Amino acid sequence: MPALTVDNLTKSYGQTLALSELSFEVEEGEVFGFLGPNGAGKSTTINVVLDFIRPTAGQVEVLGMNAQTHSRDIRARTGVLPEGVETYDRLTAREHLEFAIESKGSMDDPETLLERVGLLDAIDRKAGGYSKGMSQRLMLAMALVGEPDLLILDEPSTGLDPNGAREMREIVREENDRGATVFFSSHVMEQVEAVCDRVGILRDGEMVAVDSVEGLRDSVSEGETLRVTVDRIDDDALQAVRSLPDVSNAAVDGENPPQLVVQVEGSKTAVLGELEERGIEIEDFSTTEASLDEVFQTYTASREVQAQ
Amino acid sequence: MSTETAGGSAPTSPSSSINLESVRAIAKKDFKDSFRSWVFWGLSIFFFTLLVVLTGLLSYFDEVFFGVSAAEAGVTTELLVVAASFVTRLVIPLIALVLGWKAISGERESGSIKVLLSLPHSRKDVILGKLIGRSAVLSVSLIVGFVFAAVVVAALIGSFDVVDYVGLLAMSILYGIAYTSLAVSISSLTRSTTIAGAALFGVFLLFYVVWNAIIEAIDLLMAFDYISGVPYTVETDQGTIELERMPDWAYFIESIDPGYAYNNALSVATSAAESELGVAIEEIMFDGSVPFFLQDWFSFVVLLAWIVVPLAIALYRFDRVDL
Repeated sequence: MPALTVDNLTKSYGQTLALSELSFEVEEGEVFGFLGPNGAGKSTTINVVLDFIRPTAGQVEVLGMNAQTHSRDIRARTGVLPEGVETYDRLTAREHLEFAIESKGSMDDPETLLERVGLLDAIDRKAGGYSKGMSQRLMLAMALVGEPDLLILDEPSTGLDPNGAREMREIVREENDRGATVFFSSHVMEQVEAVCDRVGILRDGEMVAVDSVEGLRDSVSEGETLRVTVDRIDDDALQAVRSLPDVSNAAVDGENPPQLVVQVEGSKTAVLGELEERGIEIEDFSTTEASLDEVFQTYTASREVQAQ
Repeated sequence: MSTETAGGSAPTSPSSSINLESVRAIAKKDFKDSFRSWVFWGLSIFFFTLLVVLTGLLSYFDEVFFGVSAAEAGVTTELLVVAASFVTRLVIPLIALVLGWKAISGERESGSIKVLLSLPHSRKDVILGKLIGRSAVLSVSLIVGFVFAAVVVAALIGSFDVVDYVGLLAMSILYGIAYTSLAVSISSLTRSTTIAGAALFGVFLLFYVVWNAIIEAIDLLMAFDYISGVPYTVETDQGTIELERMPDWAYFIESIDPGYAYNNALSVATSAAESELGVAIEEIMFDGSVPFFLQDWFSFVVLLAWIVVPLAIALYRFDRVDL
C-alpha cells in the first residue's frame, strides 16, 4: 500500500490553476523528494494532503485513508513541519513540545526530542527570541512527536545553515531507518539528492519527472547540456527545439543576450540547425556534462519566453 | 456532530467531529499564551481598580452629601452593582472584542494555524478551544480582580452583600463570554486581521451606537405617525390619560441587545432589581400581560443566544473554507 497517493489532483483559485491533474505515489518506507521552484504548487499539494485546503477535483489518499474524510486519523499518524510557520512567541520550546505530545497522546519526552534537533540548551527559553534556524529545529522536533508513520517536511532547510541542513538530513535518515515514510519538499536539488530514494519534479502544477536519484543521474550522464547564446528567442522557436527527437528539455536563461539551455542526448547540430532555419543568429555556444542540478534547472525553468 | 449534513464538498466524517481532549489542549495552550502576556494581569488590575475606585467614590460622596461614613449610611453592595454595571456594560464588550479579534484570523494570517491543525485536531476543536481559552482569560481576570477588590470593598461598605457581589461577577462573566463568542466567531470568518478588526469595530458600533439609534428612530417615526404606536391608558387623579407606546417588535429589538440583556440579567441575579415603578409601568403599558421578551428570564436566553448562534455559524463555516 502506498503511503501517499495523489490522483488527478486539480486545485484552482478562480482563474488561476495551482495544480493541474497532478498524479503520483509515494511508497511506504521511502524518502520521497518533492522538488520544484517556488510557486510550482508544492505547498498547495501538501495543504491538500493535510486537508488545509480542499481540492477542486481529484483525490488524495494518505496511509490508505481519504485525506478529507479521515484527516484527523491521518494527522494522528503523521508528523508535519509546515512551511515558513511562526512559533508561539510567548511559549517555550518545552511548552511547544508538551502541547504536541498532549495533542497526539504520546509518551515522548520533550528533552529527548529537543536534544535530537540540537535545541536542548534553549528548552526553557521563549520561542519569540529564537532565530529562524532555531524555530525550524523546534518545528522539526514537534513533527517527530509520537513516532509518526509519515513525515511531511515542507522546505525543512529554510533558515538552516549548511551544518543544520546536514543534521536535518541525518534525522530524516534515522526516521526512515525506524520505518517512517518521509515526504520532503524543497526547491534545492542538492538537499534532496543526498537523502531521497526517489524524486518528483513539479513545475507549474504538473509533475514533469519522477525517478530515483540514480535514474535521474543516469538520464543526465547520457546527455549533455548545450548552451547557445542567441540574439533573440521566441516561444515558437523554443517549442520547435523542444520537439526535436534528441532534446529532452530546453529552457531560456537570461535576457540580454538570451541563452538557450538544452538537454541533448544526441546530435547538437539539429538544435543549431533548427535555430538558424528560423533566422535566429547564434552568437556563441558551448556544451557541458550536465549536473543533476542543471537537469532540475531545465525541468523547472519557466516555459514563458519573452518575445523580443 | 459527525452526523451533520454537509453542504457542498465539506467532510461528513470523523475529521469534523469534536474531541474534548483536543479542545482542552488547545484551550490550555491558548490560555497559557495569553497568561504570559501583560493582558491577563492588566485586566485583573483593571477590574480590581474599577471596583475599589467606585466604592471609594460612593463612600466619598456619601460623606460629603450626608456627612456620615459609608458604613453607617446607605452605600450598599446594591449601589455598587448599579454603578459598576454602568462601566462594565460598556467596557467588557470592548475587552472581549479585542481579546477575540486575532484568535483565529491572526493564526490564519501568520500561518501558525497550520501548527495547530498539523496535530490531530479538527477545525471545530480549534474554534471551541480558542473560545474557551479566551473566555477563560477574561473570566479568570474578572474573578481575580473581584476577589482582591472584595477585601477593600467589604472594608469600605458596612453591609457587604456577597450574593449581590457574586451576582455581578457571574453576570459579567456571562456577558463577557457572549461577546468573546461573537469576536472569536467573526475572527474565524476571515484570513485577514484587518478585515476581522473592521468587522469587530462594526459590531462595537452596532451595539454602542446603531442599536440605540434604531430605538430613537422608531420613537421619532412614531411621533410623526410613520409607525403607529400602541395606545394605552393610565388612570390618574386627574382622570384617564391616553398614551402611546412603541409596538411590540420595537421592544423585541431593544431586548436582544446584549447590553440590555446584561442589565436585566443583573436585576435577576442581584438585588439591584428594576424599580417597582418600572415594573408597574410595564404592567400598565402592556395591559397586564408583559410579553415574554421583556421578562427578566428572557435576558438569559438572549445572552446564551449570543454565545451559541455566532458559534454555530462559525463552526459550520470554518469546516468549509481553505485555510
